[in-house]
Amino acid sequence: MAERTVLAEAPNLPALFGRAALSARGRGGDLPATRLARVGVPVDAAQAADYARVCGFPLTDTLPVTFPHLLAFPLQVALMADPAFPLALPGLVHVRNSISSIRPVRASAELDVEVWAERFAAHVRGATVDLCASVSTGGTEVWRGRSTYLARGATAPAGAPDADVTVDVVALDRTAAQWRVPADTGRRYAKVSGDVNPIHLSTLSAKAFGFKRAIAHGMWVQARALAALSGRLPEAADVDVAFRKPLFLPSTVTLGTEQVDGGWDLAVRNAGSGAEHLVGTVRPR
Amino acid sequence: MNDWYRNFANSGVGTTITRQLGLPRPAVLRRYEPGQPLLPGPAVVGSAAAGRLADRLTALLQDAGVPVQSLGTADGPEDGERPAAVLLDATGLTGPADLAGVHAFLAPAVKRLRPSGRVLVLADPPAEAATPAQAAARQALDGLVRSVAKELRGGSTANLVLVPAGAEEALAAPVRFFLSGRSAYVDGQQVTVSAPVAPAVQDEERPLTGKVAVVTGAARGIGAAIARVLARDGAHVVAVDVPAAGQALAGIANEVGGAALQLDITAADAASRLVEHLRERRYAGVGPGVDIVVHNAGITRDKLLVNMDADRWNTVMTVNLQAQLDLTQALLDADGLLRPAARVVCVSSQSGIAGNRGQTNYAASKAGVIGMVRAWAPEFAGRGATINAVAPGFIVTEMTASMPVGTREVGARLNSLQQGGLPVDVAETIAWLAQPASGGVNGQVVRVCGQSLLGA
Amino acid sequence: MAAPTRKAAIVGGNRIPFARSNSRYARASNQDMLTATLDGLVARFGLQDERLGEVAAGAVLKHARDFNLTRESVLGSRLAASTPAYDVQQACGTGLEAAILVANKIALGQLESGIAGGVDTTSDAPMAINEDMRRVLLAVNSAKTVQQRLKALAGIRPGQLLPEVPRNAEPRTGLSMGEHAAITAAEWEIGREEQDELAVASHRNLAAAYDRGFFDDLVTPYLGLARDQNLRPDSSPEKLATLQPVFGKGEGATMTAGNSTPLTDGASAVLLGSDEWAAAKGLPVLAHLVDAQTAAVDYVHGGEGLLMAPVHAVPVLLARNGLTLQDFDFYEVHEAFASTVLATLKAWEDPAYCKDTLGLDTPLGAIDRSKLNVNGSSLAAGHPFAATGGRIVATLAKLLHEAGPGKRGLISICAAGGQGVVAILES
Repeated sequence: MAERTVLAEAPNLPALFGRAALSARGRGGDLPATRLARVGVPVDAAQAADYARVCGFPLTDTLPVTFPHLLAFPLQVALMADPAFPLALPGLVHVRNSISSIRPVRASAELDVEVWAERFAAHVRGATVDLCASVSTGGTEVWRGRSTYLARGATAPAGAPDADVTVDVVALDRTAAQWRVPADTGRRYAKVSGDVNPIHLSTLSAKAFGFKRAIAHGMWVQARALAALSGRLPEAADVDVAFRKPLFLPSTVTLGTEQVDGGWDLAVRNAGSGAEHLVGTVRPR
Repeated sequence: MNDWYRNFANSGVGTTITRQLGLPRPAVLRRYEPGQPLLPGPAVVGSAAAGRLADRLTALLQDAGVPVQSLGTADGPEDGERPAAVLLDATGLTGPADLAGVHAFLAPAVKRLRPSGRVLVLADPPAEAATPAQAAARQALDGLVRSVAKELRGGSTANLVLVPAGAEEALAAPVRFFLSGRSAYVDGQQVTVSAPVAPAVQDEERPLTGKVAVVTGAARGIGAAIARVLARDGAHVVAVDVPAAGQALAGIANEVGGAALQLDITAADAASRLVEHLRERRYAGVGPGVDIVVHNAGITRDKLLVNMDADRWNTVMTVNLQAQLDLTQALLDADGLLRPAARVVCVSSQSGIAGNRGQTNYAASKAGVIGMVRAWAPEFAGRGATINAVAPGFIVTEMTASMPVGTREVGARLNSLQQGGLPVDVAETIAWLAQPASGGVNGQVVRVCGQSLLGA
Repeated sequence: MAAPTRKAAIVGGNRIPFARSNSRYARASNQDMLTATLDGLVARFGLQDERLGEVAAGAVLKHARDFNLTRESVLGSRLAASTPAYDVQQACGTGLEAAILVANKIALGQLESGIAGGVDTTSDAPMAINEDMRRVLLAVNSAKTVQQRLKALAGIRPGQLLPEVPRNAEPRTGLSMGEHAAITAAEWEIGREEQDELAVASHRNLAAAYDRGFFDDLVTPYLGLARDQNLRPDSSPEKLATLQPVFGKGEGATMTAGNSTPLTDGASAVLLGSDEWAAAKGLPVLAHLVDAQTAAVDYVHGGEGLLMAPVHAVPVLLARNGLTLQDFDFYEVHEAFASTVLATLKAWEDPAYCKDTLGLDTPLGAIDRSKLNVNGSSLAAGHPFAATGGRIVATLAKLLHEAGPGKRGLISICAAGGQGVVAILES
């Protein structure tokens, strides 16, 4: 049976990022079986409103489909920052995100959140690991998330399965929308999400980690794309997106959409080069 | 548009200076205000011979609430107030000898006349005289009145009304006009009345109540003043001007509670569009039709004749004369649209009477208007309607305000009242001609010029 | 059981000449222009101090201070202050929608008279403060103590001082209307030449209409402008052919400044009433508003063009009135872009589109192009968004009146947000 630790409050993300950076060396071994949890977490209404505004969601009584990720993310980081975690947090690249919105989550709900890691898998360029989350309210699971991170150059344990980071979409030739993504997008999203990873914040801080300019949070791109489909998403849905090329800030991007199987296929591309930043699917559950 | 010189001459210092230098001393004219009594003081009525009108005059004045002084007191040194008007019934003259009575009455009476007073002489038309001696006596009055007008100061005027036999019923409207402030800038003029088709009763405060009036060129200047005065007197005004003047036109229409009609009166279909408009609308709450038409729109394109191109000539002729002819004819032809007892007033000009250097086109067109009015008068009389012309002299408008000071000041002073007239003076004369009671004034040309020296 | 209804009469209209952006009306606000337009209408029909049933009007680009734009304009006009008013906003459909609203109330007997109008300025457009700055200022405003206020003010960053300029872009797609129209033009293969020809016809028709005095009782000059400033009577296909495309990409780009409407300032108003009211007031009836229809399309994710909604609205309107597209004496199709008009006409002629997209067994078919926008339209006159509906309603009503009783006209106006407003007028 996995060890389950219930935290009284959300971990401090900047501190975790710092600790993770200092303890990056000398990691290895298998995934820990640890599960981190918080119970009875009230949603911060102001944060939800700010989040909705930054991502383009309408402000309603139900949380944006991507919002519960914000509750799970600090716990996931805490898990990854722990020295027992086999992969070093700096350098992990978010390559895929799946969300199962089992039923809409009311903004007034008190939520129980539990996170864990699984699927240590072999990738041609290294190894991937899935950080999972389950959110429930009143004992019923309402939301599930899975973020796949790629650690370049890392080695998966022997016998590990092959990584699964591909999301297939239909041809998306028609531009439904075009957005200008301003330079401060990373800072704005960091403010509402707590994800203060320096690669998102400024050109200078991004350069320190080998990027020519700051890049948009993958979760913001995903949220922005889903927000564009507000009102047209199934109440209960499975969302699955793959993050491709980094979205350098600022940029102008296009959104391509197509209705498929009662849901949507979508792609976010650079308006000039056509480079794909994100492809994804939304399917009714 | 303020008459700075008149204001100066009437100021304390100005009075002294102008007096000592012998400069003209233009008076502040008595102009009409609604609610004003017909005269600010009593009137003296006299007869030169066996006049047939004195009693009628006295009754008319008493009806209007004007105290009438007897002949005996007119020259009395102490007795009562100085008269505001002197009326002479000079009908019934048989020969020059009778003119002695004219002198005997007028001389002492006029001496006691108040400022902004009125001298009005009623006479028989010389053309209807039975003998040369009678004609001579009647015609003599013309020279007399003109001269009295020139001698009067302090904004007083003198005018002559010729009353043919049988036209006595027509007397009230001209008498009231000439005595009232409405005629402030009409001086030294002569009007011949004729028998009206039907005697008219009118509310003297709002004589045009229920009437529909079309005024062309109404967006600004004299036209706007006409619209205001007609509306003040009760008319529903349809203000017409070129589309380009539409904003000012709408302003005037809204000010007077009328309607704006943007129409280029020189357009080929202008007459039919005016007719159609008047057929479609039912103004003033009655069926389609128009009671008053004021042809005011006019333009100048000045050049010496030898330098004038055909375009200047033709444009002025089209706007000032042809359009008046065409619109009037169209209204006459539009069955019933020009209501019985209609009043058409055409704006002519002093230039059309006296001529003016550089205005051969303008003067020709304005003289043409006079010819048109006289020619149409009998037909109008036949319908119980009238058509008259008003010829403004030097009227202070936005246009004259832009003239060089010298030209403007000379133009403004070359008349017996020693000042320029105002647009409202023209408008008041037109409104008088438009009154129901003015049915006996037809085919006349009334100059609103302060007895201008030009063409007098 | 529906109450008996009557058709609302169109008595007449008024508008100010439309001015190019940042030109003659650069200092005029929406309220200035709407008030002047109402006063012109009042003057034309002698409505001074008249208490009308209501005034419905609106603007697409509105300042926050203009929350009661129409009512404020009424209060500033010569209408009786007891005339109620409200604002309407349906993008470029605002003017026509306002007319439909007033007409419907008249039809239901709720009103005897009313004015429908619209106004827009792109010169005096609202400029918002930066969103972050706005939030800081809101916080300052709600702060209760000096300390709280200072703390809130300390949150200001230099970048927040930059204002947010409104963009002529669809919020949901980020594409300008022109870019959307270019997509539709490419989809429907609308050629450059035919667009330029339509634009030239618009200018020539409008110029001719002015020359024959058609607009004498529809337009009142404003601020020294007596005709639409965008009007180029000497426009020719040769001149237009020299212009570079501004919308669309690459070789296939066909849309130029010459065959697209420019940003414009202006206002319009239409006087409506019951027949009885018009008769009692001694006013003419030019035409009646017979019926109207709106439609909207999913231009974001649905694959339909942004400006194609009128294509969907018209067949519904025709079916309800038992008419075919050919049963009209005049067609007033708002020229947002020449390509929009041409794509609209082409779509109605296309059997596959009419069947698959509009669900019609047979296409609506072609119209007699000599009956289209006979007195010019937005390409020549300009298009102050909310003012276009009033311009078209008054123009068509007068056209029908001139043509005699029993004539019929169709109005089709596309609007931002993938909407369309269409209506039938009859003399």
